[in-house]
Amino acid sequence: MKKNIRYIGLGILLSGTVLLTGCRDFLKEEVYSQLAPENYLKTREGLTSVLYETYAKAANMNSNNSIYVLGPQEFMTDILYQSGDNVEATIRNFREFNWEPNMDFLIQNWDSYYQCIRNANILIENIPSSGLSASEKSLFEAEARFLRAVAYYKLYFFFGPVPLRTGTTQELSLARASDDEMKQFIASELKYASENLPAPGSEPQKHRAHKAAATGYLLKFYLNTKNWTEAGNVSSQFLNTFKGYSLFGNYKDLFKVENENNSEYVWVRPAIPSSSRVTANSWSNVSFPDNFKSAPEIGLEFKSTWLNWPNEFRIYDDFYASFETGDKRKDLMITYYINTSNERIELLGNDNVRSFKYWPDQNHVGAAHGNDIPEIRFADILLSRAEALNELNGPGEEALQLINQVRARAGLAGLKLADVSSKEVLRDRILKERGHEFYNEGHRRMDLIRTGRFITDAQARGKNAQPHHVVFPIPQVVIDSDPAIVQNPNY
Amino acid sequence: MNRNLIQFSLVLILLLFSLTALAQRAITGKVVDAKTSEPLIGATLKVEGSQAGTQTNADGEFSFSYNSLPVKVQVSFVGYVTRSIEVRDTQALTIELEPDMELLEDVVVIGYGTAKKSDITGSVSSITEKDFNKGVNVSAEQLIAGKVSGVQIVQSSGEPGGGITVNIRGMGSLNAGNSPLYVVDGFPIDNSSAVSGTGANFTGMRTARNPLNSINPNDIASIEVLKDASATAIYGSRGANGVVLITTKRGKEGGLKVNYDTYYGVQNIMNDIDLLSANDYKAVMNSLIDAGAGNANLKIGEFSGGTDWLDRMYHKDAPIQNHNLSFSGGNQSTKYHTSLNYFNQDGVLINSGNKRYSARINLEHTNKNFTFGTNISSSYVADNYVANGMDLNERAGIIYAAIAYEPTLSVYDQENNYVLSKNMNIDNPLAIANGKTSVSNLYRTLGTIYGEVKFLKDFTARLNLGADITSQRRDTYIDRQTMEGRSNGGIASILTGTNNSFLSELTLNYRKRFNQQDLNVLFGTTGQQFNSFDQSSQGSGFPSDVTKTDNMSLGDPTRFIVTSGRSRNSLLSYLGRVNYNLYEKYLLTASLRIDGSSRFGENNKYGVFPSFAFAWRLENEDFIKDLEFISSLKLRSSWGQTGNQAIGNYQSMTTYSSGQMAVIGNQQVSTTTPNRVPNPNLKWETSEQLNFGLDYGFLRNRITGSLDWFVKTTKDMLLNLPIPRTTGFSTMMTNVGSVRNGGFEVLVNTINLTGPLSWESTLNMTWLNNKVLDLGGIDNIFTGSAGGTSNIALISEGLPMYSFYGYVIDGVWQEGDDFSVTKDNVKPGDFKYRDINGDKVVNADDRTVIGSPFPNFMASLTNNFSYKRFNLNIFLDGVWGSKMLNNNLVDTYFPANLMRNRLAEPMLNRWTPSNPSDVYPSFINPLGQGKKEVNTYTVENADFLRLNTVKLGYDFHINRSAVKGLGVFVTGQNLAMWTKYKGYDPSINPNGGGVRIDWNAFPTARTILFGVNLTL
Repeated sequence: MKKNIRYIGLGILLSGTVLLTGCRDFLKEEVYSQLAPENYLKTREGLTSVLYETYAKAANMNSNNSIYVLGPQEFMTDILYQSGDNVEATIRNFREFNWEPNMDFLIQNWDSYYQCIRNANILIENIPSSGLSASEKSLFEAEARFLRAVAYYKLYFFFGPVPLRTGTTQELSLARASDDEMKQFIASELKYASENLPAPGSEPQKHRAHKAAATGYLLKFYLNTKNWTEAGNVSSQFLNTFKGYSLFGNYKDLFKVENENNSEYVWVRPAIPSSSRVTANSWSNVSFPDNFKSAPEIGLEFKSTWLNWPNEFRIYDDFYASFETGDKRKDLMITYYINTSNERIELLGNDNVRSFKYWPDQNHVGAAHGNDIPEIRFADILLSRAEALNELNGPGEEALQLINQVRARAGLAGLKLADVSSKEVLRDRILKERGHEFYNEGHRRMDLIRTGRFITDAQARGKNAQPHHVVFPIPQVVIDSDPAIVQNPNY
Repeated sequence: MNRNLIQFSLVLILLLFSLTALAQRAITGKVVDAKTSEPLIGATLKVEGSQAGTQTNADGEFSFSYNSLPVKVQVSFVGYVTRSIEVRDTQALTIELEPDMELLEDVVVIGYGTAKKSDITGSVSSITEKDFNKGVNVSAEQLIAGKVSGVQIVQSSGEPGGGITVNIRGMGSLNAGNSPLYVVDGFPIDNSSAVSGTGANFTGMRTARNPLNSINPNDIASIEVLKDASATAIYGSRGANGVVLITTKRGKEGGLKVNYDTYYGVQNIMNDIDLLSANDYKAVMNSLIDAGAGNANLKIGEFSGGTDWLDRMYHKDAPIQNHNLSFSGGNQSTKYHTSLNYFNQDGVLINSGNKRYSARINLEHTNKNFTFGTNISSSYVADNYVANGMDLNERAGIIYAAIAYEPTLSVYDQENNYVLSKNMNIDNPLAIANGKTSVSNLYRTLGTIYGEVKFLKDFTARLNLGADITSQRRDTYIDRQTMEGRSNGGIASILTGTNNSFLSELTLNYRKRFNQQDLNVLFGTTGQQFNSFDQSSQGSGFPSDVTKTDNMSLGDPTRFIVTSGRSRNSLLSYLGRVNYNLYEKYLLTASLRIDGSSRFGENNKYGVFPSFAFAWRLENEDFIKDLEFISSLKLRSSWGQTGNQAIGNYQSMTTYSSGQMAVIGNQQVSTTTPNRVPNPNLKWETSEQLNFGLDYGFLRNRITGSLDWFVKTTKDMLLNLPIPRTTGFSTMMTNVGSVRNGGFEVLVNTINLTGPLSWESTLNMTWLNNKVLDLGGIDNIFTGSAGGTSNIALISEGLPMYSFYGYVIDGVWQEGDDFSVTKDNVKPGDFKYRDINGDKVVNADDRTVIGSPFPNFMASLTNNFSYKRFNLNIFLDGVWGSKMLNNNLVDTYFPANLMRNRLAEPMLNRWTPSNPSDVYPSFINPLGQGKKEVNTYTVENADFLRLNTVKLGYDFHINRSAVKGLGVFVTGQNLAMWTKYKGYDPSINPNGGGVRIDWNAFPTARTILFGVNLTL
């Protein structure tokens, strides 16, 4: 009897267990709304989708990153400063050169690029065994390597040499590369991309990489590393190869959403307004002064659905005053406005001039405006070549002719050789020209560093700038995450 | 001893009856409970040695005839000691039956079974209906808040139906969740929300409304809290945070009993926060501007009226009502309990509320050795939300906006539109309240069906099948009264979600008593699967606000956003337990559960969770038996391991999910992104707990209670280990690190007075400490943020989890101070931060630990008085040693810009040359030393002592009518609070989880209820 009891009990238990485990793999982890890598990265669709995110990470336009990638390139320069709202405390630290590794907007200039690099590495490793055609494989690889090089370019000029992650199988911990390794990697990858990408216009879709973009970055890379010879060569190659680029007729309208498909933009951080603000330009929100109603100088009327944030980007009076009379480029800035009580409020004289370079978008969605932010445009190619030529040979006709193309569009008389007596004088003229041409496009910091003026200029404005400020501190969370990474000196 | 006394009194009563007896035929009378004098319905009266007899009617009365007197009548009723009475005359009798102490001797629900309280070896707290909290209880946890030692139950805020954090014996996990497992009538429920998120541009609380709201608290008969590993290990990988067993009401043998309970009440905010009034604001701001704090054009001139914005947000005398109707009864074979509930609470902030409609059927039928039954409840919960929560500026909710808005403004401008502040990027508070609407409708059905068969005398097999299905939809609309609504042409969001879980469970029980031994063996196997589905759609650019979320297709088609998701996880388990009782003195329990979870890595699918416990009932030892003052004494000890598998699904594998949108070909395209670095070794957290306890009863159980000492160590903690960010990832889920919680719990029940005025007290005390032992080589993990305040808390070895980490403020710099001690640019009137490392510069290196979010001592005291038909319940609770970041104080000391209104006290008493305060700064340049938001001012002491509830009741004496009982009561909740905390309420945790942050909290209500209990 005792035995029977046991058998019955066991039987019930067993049948229960069988009932439960009847469907095999009860504990198998079923993935429904995410995609498993084994098959996904074999397909064209999968690779394309990851490639697209690689583009998004390189553009770094999520949320307010449009302005917080631009901002650290200008907050500490002679162009503008910020005040108002709760980002003021952080941005004041940028402006005053009280930089420390915990401050905001550093990580925004780190993570997105390393995510871009991560995706690019995944693509490069998975393309060979995928089902892509040979030509697609070559195209995808060139795009991935282009985007990875752009990410390293951004990191290098922001932080100095950084860990060079070129595959997903490297050790998790990785020390910073040497300056030479870094430079060599960026230059050779951009060269590879410029050789293997399609010519501009033949890329499969707009906003995908092409030879001119890679060549443009290569030129800017040589320029910013003061490799004048290569900068001269690459700029000449650019002008001889990519004949389709030209200066857009009217500077004031160049940055409007409706003119984005122009022949001047070589490479942009593209923006499309949407309520999620993942690809948004936030510039307009920080440009409107208090209770803004209209700006008669530039013919701008406030649309009731636009947003006017108390976070305000303000142009220094001195910068505004540095424009020559008749320079059409300052027509995107206002010196006074009419407020909602129909009063005239002066801005000039209070370091409070506003720039509407990114002309507010009529088809905005909330705080998201659709103006692309140019990274490389034809005027930059011209002025970069002029600068390289000056550094190589001193003032010359070709350099002046390049500068004068840009000046002519701004409605200014051409420079004459007589005006620029020396290499130093022309260097200063180019720097000034670049300031007027590229303000609010995120080039000022590197232009000042390259010409040796970044620190001295800030000191002259009474800031606490020191020689080590030519690179930013590596974000503390990055240092904390990997003991192999050594902080930049003096931070 | 007690028994003897009862017997003695019985004999006495019998004697009395016999003396007054006379020979007559009709026997009439009433059977009542000896303690409560309540009539007993369906009690059986039977003439000994004959078939004659009857049952009491619905009034407990009986009447029957017998041919000769005196006669012996046996009176019996289930749950009471059977009495034999000699009836000598026809005078109406009142027969008092004593509750059967043996039977009532507190059967306690434990995992997969029940046990007599005296047989329990683990640490189990059992709270039954009579001890539940007396005020407003929206959800089950609130019934026992403050009543169980070792358990901290914290409301997220005063939001009706708002989230609740329950921590049993501290927090032991950083990432795997700290919520206990809830088991309702044997069904372990998934307590996650079906819909997460609030809808676009709608600020909500960080913690969702409580999913347990769908269970009607009026249906609950008892709640057991399993605390030590001996009690929880039977729940294996879900037991680490303790287990809460909820048992709903069953029908009792006897006639139909109808209960109607209702209350109606009004709520007002318990405590207001003082902001600068319009006139003070003008004076303070203008004087700050004069002192150089801002541009002269900001100065405030004449204004008319002004607005007390916060006051406009409050819903005064917000109504609350509850109606509960139940029918229960049964006979020996079938018992039933059914109920209907309607609950409706308006929030103390305008446009918020919570409603519940629920129904329940509990049925059980026994036929010889076979029992089957079902417990099913179905509910509909409707929530109304007002936009309020932890966000700022253009995303601000109403409390943030109402605090910041200039009190000098009127509500409307000349065109009768909501006025907009010119100084801050915040919408008008009333525009937010009225222009952002969000409602949710939730339907939940939870049911189990079970069959139990007894066979071969000692065996019981039980099959339990259950399902829990929740379906929810939330509709949010931002209309054109708001800035965002205007700017986007209205924004509509619909979020839907379904959670379901299915249980199949088979247990086999063997129970044998022999030679003063009692052996109870349990085996079982159980499988449970959890599925969730969600879908959301969002549109904007509507031609009009009229259709709200009801016609999405009217929106701008280029702006539609649609998402969906689905996930599943499964658990397959085997369990066993042996209870062995020797001589009613030595009690032994051993349990084992083997749990397989789909969530864990391929290499670690199954976990084993053992426990052992031993208890010694000293009261049955001869050397104690003789001690008069000791009624009961039991020593308990236990050890065991439990697990925690409450991490998200798919953490052990790399998957691709939707990534950041890109712009390609002049349009937005969706992308995919790799989710994580995979960890195939991922497994559950293991929590090891040692418990020593003592249950005692002194002076004939006039003093009873328990003491428990425990130490609980979480190992293999699931940690999002920071990995080098150059990988493109920031963390990897890894099993490292360990946390220890230790504590001491005391429960004292006393019967202070008996007689016409009776007085009973219950005192609960808990001492707790929490310490991070190991973090797998990471020095510090910073966490926690609110608005612009980040890195609020620190997780570091040797400290309590989530310790507050920030600056020490030593006062205010004064004129004449020695400024050479600092290189910082400080002026008189600025905060004097402590330069901890002495390098003359106060920066991030000068932060230090400034408090713990966990209390080190919690206590509560319940007093029950009764005098004649009056009863009075007074419940006090308090917490000591915990801190909370008051982020609204951060907004006061570090305002986003000058013109935002702030708390009055610091501003009115601010430092000026003529008022050299050493407490409050000058506010002239509040950001001058950077934003040092986390400091000894803003991290406030959250100690409090609260007069939680007072309930005064009166029971009418109802004689011979259809009504069997009628009681009325008045209850006051949150009547008084003694605290130094400067926010709405120090007892809440709006951030949820371990980092305690109070910011724009939904204010806590003070409630007065009037109620009626009616029994038919």
